[in-house]
This record gives sequence, structure tokens and C-alpha cells, in this order.
Amino acid sequence: MRWVVPEAEHMAEGTLGCQGCGGALSMRLVLKELGQDAVAVLPACCWSIIDGPWPVHALDIPVLHTAFETAAVVATGVKAAKTVQGKDTTVVAWAGDGGTFDIGLQALSGAAERNEDILFICYDNEAYMNTGIQRSSSTPTGTWTTTTPDQRPEARPKKDIMGIIAAHRIPYAATATAAYPEDLERKVQNAVAIKGGMRFLHLLSVCPPGWKMEADQAIEVMRRAVRSKVFPLYEVRNGRDYTITHWPDDLPLEDYFSLQGRFKPLLGNDEMLELVRGNVEERWQTLLARHEASHPASVGSN
Amino acid sequence: MSGLDHVDNYPEIPVSLAPTSTVLKTGAWRSVRPVLKTRTAPCNAYCPAGISIPEYFDFLTQDRLEDAHSVFMERNPFPRITGRVCPRFCEHGCNLAVATDEEPLSIRSIERWLGDHTAEVPHPNPAEETGKQVAVVGAGPAGMAAAYYLRRSGHKVTVFDRRELAGGILRYGIPEYRLPTEIVDNEVRKLENMGVEFRTRLALGADLKLEDLEAAYAAVFVATGATGQRSTGIAGESLLEPGLAFLEAANRNQVSLPGERCAVIGGGNTAMDVARMLQRMGAKVTVLYRRTLTEMPAIDEEYERAVEDGVEFHWLTLPRRVTKLGAKLLVTVEQMRLGTPDESGRRRPESTGIMREMRFDGVFSATGEKADTTPFPDRLRDAQGWLDLDVDGATKDPLVYAGGDLATGPATVIEAIVAGRNAARAIDAELGFSDRWPAVSPIDTVSPAEVNVTYVPHHDRADDPPAVTADPFAEETTTLTAADVLEEIDRCLSCGYCNSCGTCFVFCPDGAILWNNGPRIDHEFCKGCGICVAECPGHVMVLVNEREVSHA
Ligand SMILES: Cc1cc2nc3c(=O)[nH]c(=O)nc-3n(C[C@H](O)[C@H](O)[C@H](O)COP(=O)(O)OP(=O)(O)OC[C@H]3O[C@@H](n4cnc5c(N)ncnc54)[C@H](O)[C@@H]3O)c2cc1C
Ligand SMILES: Cc1ncc(C[n+]2csc(CCOP(=O)(O)OP(=O)(O)O)c2C)c(N)n1
Ligand code: SF4
Ligand code: SF4
Ligand code: SF4
Ligand SMILES: [Mg+2]
Repeated sequence: MRWVVPEAEHMAEGTLGCQGCGGALSMRLVLKELGQDAVAVLPACCWSIIDGPWPVHALDIPVLHTAFETAAVVATGVKAAKTVQGKDTTVVAWAGDGGTFDIGLQALSGAAERNEDILFICYDNEAYMNTGIQRSSSTPTGTWTTTTPDQRPEARPKKDIMGIIAAHRIPYAATATAAYPEDLERKVQNAVAIKGGMRFLHLLSVCPPGWKMEADQAIEVMRRAVRSKVFPLYEVRNGRDYTITHWPDDLPLEDYFSLQGRFKPLLGNDEMLELVRGNVEERWQTLLARHEASHPASVGSN
Repeated sequence: MSGLDHVDNYPEIPVSLAPTSTVLKTGAWRSVRPVLKTRTAPCNAYCPAGISIPEYFDFLTQDRLEDAHSVFMERNPFPRITGRVCPRFCEHGCNLAVATDEEPLSIRSIERWLGDHTAEVPHPNPAEETGKQVAVVGAGPAGMAAAYYLRRSGHKVTVFDRRELAGGILRYGIPEYRLPTEIVDNEVRKLENMGVEFRTRLALGADLKLEDLEAAYAAVFVATGATGQRSTGIAGESLLEPGLAFLEAANRNQVSLPGERCAVIGGGNTAMDVARMLQRMGAKVTVLYRRTLTEMPAIDEEYERAVEDGVEFHWLTLPRRVTKLGAKLLVTVEQMRLGTPDESGRRRPESTGIMREMRFDGVFSATGEKADTTPFPDRLRDAQGWLDLDVDGATKDPLVYAGGDLATGPATVIEAIVAGRNAARAIDAELGFSDRWPAVSPIDTVSPAEVNVTYVPHHDRADDPPAVTADPFAEETTTLTAADVLEEIDRCLSCGYCNSCGTCFVFCPDGAILWNNGPRIDHEFCKGCGICVAECPGHVMVLVNEREVSHA
């Protein structure tokens, strides 16, 4: 195999993810690097279902199902218990965008502020998918969801969760996606290695039914999100040091949007499209400036 | 309830201990299924010999040189030779070049490396002796390839040639700086070592009669090439030097320059080699060609190298008359213009009546050679004097075959090799053996629209590096290094051939691609999302409608 991705599997077959589920793939790839000395805490989200109904479940590691708003705090408790037992187990809070950006934010902010020794991973499919595609504060401008229909698509920009996390000055935060598996595995490695404090991974994770697209384009769409600068890949250490880990090319935004039916309202609205283009560019320039400030001599290609 | 009573009857926490795979057979969700399907790569389809290029590339990356070599030798026994002089038919089909703005894989250079690194590997032992004797006439690439496959089949093979040494144009035509004689010698020696007998200085027609060979041998394959001098139709023709004879003498170091200013008439490979050879000997050479670069039949690369060597080209220039003018030759040329296309699809040169004169010290003709079919009886020839053959080269006489340039007119080395192999296959079958050298026809060739170029590393194509030498007659290029070869193969999409890259395995959201040095699709759980099919660089997977499988 040419990929630097561990062969070992820690997620069983027969999960209940939809065809082409990016959340399932994100979990599968994260576990390959995480190994078996870990515990996952799941708030209400698609993954509550994907993991399978009692008496079966999919992961090689223990999974605790918990309430929607509590992922970070339950993970904190589990970690404390493990510490009392003298164990060095990695405790992962694994939440959707709803359980991270919205209802989970208070617990997350608390844990981050206390610098709890947990790894919080948000698999972000940009809406409440499990309950039938309602908008979340992660849903980007111009998106169709069942609560932001075509006539009234999402008007607000996607919440800058990485900015919020960075503001807590935790040791490590990074964005990643399964379309760049080696980059993802490296970031899991980094997150595991930096023990003793709070670590955060933000994983863009395609949802083919919720994004209204063909399942076989699942990897391609996440790749285009990166290439078009909609979802840049980077790391933030201590809330200050920014490193871009994959350089985007000049893929037009439209090439990302046009693969997905959820962006139909956006593609039909020039004014909104220009607004989005401006936002993407502005966020990219901000990131670039931070990267440059952290690495005075390195801006370039992959 | 009061106090903490309820803690005692607190329900046990439900714990799941069995994996989802025990009961959730998600394969049932599927309406389409991915299946691994080996298909033909376009490079393979474009190669006249049908070499399984991605397959031997894969063996090379696994450090399995012997396996790579034997896959190759199934279809072409002379990688050192074609790895140097083939016009790279394969590369013209490369999907990478069509699907991206990258250059095609440098297949011929990798082939050369493979040949050079197996040069001392003896040919496999022949199959059990059959007791049959086969005669091959003509020891060029067609005859040598036929000898190889016939001998491997266990037949006794005698190769006759009118020259002193075997090799045909490889030895006497193509210059040393493109194909060192030592390489041809080595191939002849390896054939001898596997038991092929060479009998030289015996010419069909003069010393050997076809009827006698038919009577004495179980089968005969004739591949005497196409090296007959064709009349140029130029007045004063006797003042011209025949190009091929010049090359032969030059290759043996037996010529001197007629003077500094030389002209070469023609636009084929012979013309390019004559021009370059003269230029390397110190002349200033002008090629006179009656059409333009677009119509010129020479291999592109040879034209480019001629230009690099300093050869000048005069297009739309047709010599009409050559006369002596003291020690010089005066060539009267007519300016031509392009007219309508001829049978070959190339635009025909037309007269303009505008004449001019040019002066040279020597003028060489290279306007194309023709096959000599006179040693064949009339019953085996058609009205134009061409041999009447079927696809495998069978004549109307049982067990008499012909091929190579003799059958097609001047063509290429690899086409001659294919003709030799085809004849060997047909003879072997006619002699009563099973299909030991199967012909392959492309299966569902992978199109450029199907490949996924995302994972191709972007680095420059690896071409044969120029040799550092002051000797104009020494080989002008060198062979890639092993590291260059591996890096180059990294660019290959492996169209239609699973090279165990792991892409499908990595991206399956269901873990339904099991990995054991290569992928196996677990249809019990695969939900049919099609990601593997979309991401596989060489499109080795296809989606099949589940109905077709379940009702099959
Ligand atoms: C100058 C030149 C350069 C070329 N460059 C290239 C190139 O770069 N790449 C490429 O692919 N192709 C090239 N070609 C074409 C290629 O060499 C031929 O297509 C190929 O050699 C044909 O092989 P063959 O075995 O049919 O004939 P030949 O190679 O011509 O071999 C025929 C053999 O038969 C023998 N013979 C002839 N008559 C008799 C007889 N009556 N009795 C007994 N033996 C006889 C000859 O001595 C010779 O050994 C070139 C050709 C020329 C002339
Ligand atoms: C307090 C509370 N409110 C609402 C719900 C219903 N609910 C379950 S999952 C979910 C949406 C989850 O969205 P997200 O976190 O983005 O994960 P996804 O399903 O998209 O993967 C909601 C609203 C709940 N379980 N608990
Ligand atoms: S023989 Fe010629 S066409 Fe065939 S693979 Fe080699 S270089 Fe390519
Ligand atoms: S990419 Fe590789 S397999 Fe595909 S056509 Fe080119 S050389 Fe052949
Ligand atoms: S993706 Fe790679 S491993 Fe999978 S089928 Fe294609 S070539 Fe084989
Ligand atoms: Mg969500």
C-alpha cells in the first residue's frame, strides 16, 4: 500500500452510516491512529445511531452515549476516573457540529478554559443531520436545509469555531478532513502526543443525503472544500502559532458548490455568491497572515 | 420512593459487547456493487505487441525484477532494443497525458532500463523438445523474435541470413549512436545459447530455394525485410549514393565523406539516420523533402534529434536532375506545394514549375526501400508483387509464413517483432500444440474520462539522459537509474490493473474493503456508495447493477 495510513481496523463493518458517510469514514481513520487505549463519549448525533443499536456496537473502544450538550464535560469526568485508576487512556469527546458549535458549546468552552486533558473531535457535516437536516450555526451562507429552504437559504456565515477554540489558548487545535487521510492521521498523532491539556480537531465530514449529492463524490467534495479555500487545513498551537498544512490551489468556489444540491440557492444568487466569495477570501487572508506571522520564511506549495 | 432507595434498583447500564458486523449485514442496502475488473490500459492497447505495461511496472515497484522481465518477454523478447529505438506507440495512448497536462509516462525508457538490467539473464529453457525443425529466413527483428518463441516452444530452429552476421537493420542500418552493435550481438548470443542455430551468408533465391526449405523443414518463416533500392526517378540517378548502403558502410567504419556539403533526399528514418551520420562525420547536411514536416514519415524524435545535430531541412523541395559540375554535384530542384490527400491521408506534393539549383559535394538517396518477393513463386504473390498473406502471415502454402518489412514494406522494429511472434504462434498451433503464445486483444480499454488523476505526483518526466561523451559515434543517451525508474512509475495511474495502491481501502467509509497485500471487497457489508470506484486511480473497479449479479 502506498498510503501512510495504518492498516489496523478498529471500527467494525455493519455500521449504520449512510452510503458515503463522511462521519463514519472520519471515525474509521481517526481510530486507526488512536488505537485501542481510548474511550469515546458521544452526545446525541448521527454517530449515536451509526455505532449500532444495543446489544451491538461498532468500535473496538468503549463508547459512552450521553446527552446532547454534555460531550466535553462527560469526557472530562471519564478522564478524571481514568486518572484515578492510574491509566493513561485517551478520552475522546466525539460530537457533531450541533453538539459542538451550538448546544455543546458551553461545556466545550468550560473544558477548554480549564484545559482539561481530553481530545474533543467535532465531525462537522454542517447541519443537524440525525434529526433530518436542520440548520446549525455551522451551516454556511446560502445553504439549503429543511429549516432554511430554497426560498430562504441560510443567511448567516458559518460560525468560526476554530477562532473560538484558539481564543481559549489550548495547546493544540487543527482542522482536517478524510479526503487528506495522511494529514488527518498526522494531526491525530499530534493531538495524542500533546497530552495533559485540551486538544481539538475539527473534521469536515461529508453527508451525501444532507448535502444532496452523489455518495461516490464524497471524497471529491471534501477535497474541493480544501482546494477552494472553503475549508483550509491548518494547526494552531497554544492559540497563537498557526501552520497551514496543505496549500490550496485556485479551484473556483463554484466547483465545490456545484457538486452539492444544498447550494442550489447560492448558485442562483449572484449577490450572495459574491458575499460568500468575499468571506472565504477574507478568512483565508486572515489565516495566511497568521501563518506568516508564525513562520516568517515559509509560504508556498505542498 | 424516598431517600436513595432508588439507587438499589437502578437499572444495569446496557452494554453492547458484540460488533455490528455480527447482525447488521449492510450489504443488503446496496443496489449497485463495486467489482474489481482487470481491464486493458491504453498504453498496452497502443503497443503493437500488447505489452502489459502496468503489470510489469507493478512488479518493478515490488522489486520483483524477474517477474517484470518474464511478463515483458511474453510479448517482446528484446526490451533493450525496442527500449532504445521504438517510436513509443504506447506513450501516445497514455491516459495521464490526455487527462492532465502532465507528460505521458516515459515507458520506453523504463523498458530500456528493464532490458539493460536483465541483459545477462539467460532465456528460459525451451519446453520439451518436439522433434520439429523450423526454418527462419532473415535474421532481422522479425526472424529473431520468431526464433525466440519457436525455440521456447521446443522446436529446433535454424535461422538463415544472407549477411555475415545476424541482426538485419538493427545491425546494418540503425547507427551505433542509437543502438550499439554490442546489444545486437548479445541478443544473438542469447538466442544461440537457447539452441537457435544461425547459418549466415546464405541467400534465399540464390543459395536456398523456398521449395527445398519447404521439403526439408516442418515449417518456414520468411522475414527478409524491405531493403531493396527503389528508383528515385531523378535524372542522373547514378550520381546518387544509396543511403542504406552508406549507413551499412558507416556502421562498419568503412566510408569517408564525399566533401563538406551533403544533401539527403527523403523524409523517412533512413533519411534521418543518413543525415545525422553525415553531420556527425563532419558534413553540413541539408535534407530535401518534397512535402512538409507534417507529412514526413520519420519518427518525430529522429527528426528532432537531426535538428539538434544541426541538419537543415528544405521542405517542398523535389530534386529533378543531378549533374556533375567539376568536383561538385549540381542538383536542380522543383518548388512543390501541397495538394489533396493521397491514399495514406497525407497531402500530395504538386508541381509549381519553379526550379532552382543547389550545389553539393555528395547527394544521398533515402526515398524509401522496397521488399524483394522474387524468391517466392507467383502463386504466393498478388498482382502488385506483394505476398498474399493472412493476419498471422500464412501464405497459401501450408506451413510457409512471411512477415516483417517483407510483408508490410518499411515499418518498425516492434511491428517486425509482433509479426515474428504471430508466425511462431501460428506455426506452433499448426504443428499441433495448444495456444502457447496467445494473442491478446484489448478488453474494455480504460478511457481518460474514467481515471482519477488526483493522486499523481507532479514531477518531471524521466527521459534517457544524454551521454557525456566526445565521441560522436558512441551511444548518445544513457539508461535511467533504478531510482529514476521508480519515481517515474509513481506517476503511472495503473489503468485497469490493480497495483495495490490502497486508495480504495483507505477511503471506504464502511471498512468493507479488506486488505491483504491488496483489496478484497466484502460484499456482505459494502453499501455500494461507489467511493472506491470513483477514487481508484486506474479505474480498476466498476459498479455493476445488483440485479445483474443476483439474477445471474
Ligand atoms: C536506417 C533505418 C533506421 C530505422 N530506425 C528505426 C527506428 O528507430 N525504430 C524502429 O522501430 N524502426 C526503425 N527502422 C525500421 C526497422 O529497422 C525495420 O522495420 C525492421 O528492422 C524490420 O525487421 P525485419 O526483420 O522485417 O527486416 P530486417 O531488419 O531488414 O531484416 C531482414 C534480414 O533478412 C536478411 N535477408 C534479406 N534478404 C535475404 C535473402 N534473400 N536471403 C536471406 N536473408 C536475407 C537481411 O540480411 C536481414 O538480416 C529503421 C529502418 C532503417 C532502414
Ligand atoms: C437536548 C436535546 N435536544 C435535541 C435533541 C435531538 N437531537 C438529537 S441529534 C440532534 C442533532 C445533532 O446534530 P449534530 O450535532 O450536528 O450531529 P449530526 O446528527 O449532524 O451528526 C438533535 C437536535 C436531543 N437529543 N437532545
Ligand atoms: S515496444 Fe514500443 S510501443 Fe511497446 S511498450 Fe515498448 S516502447 Fe512502447
Ligand atoms: S497512466 Fe500508466 S497505465 Fe495508464 S496509460 Fe499511462 S502508462 Fe499506461
Ligand atoms: S484503488 Fe488501488 S488498491 Fe484499490 S482497486 Fe484501485 S488500484 Fe487496486
Ligand atoms: Mg451535524
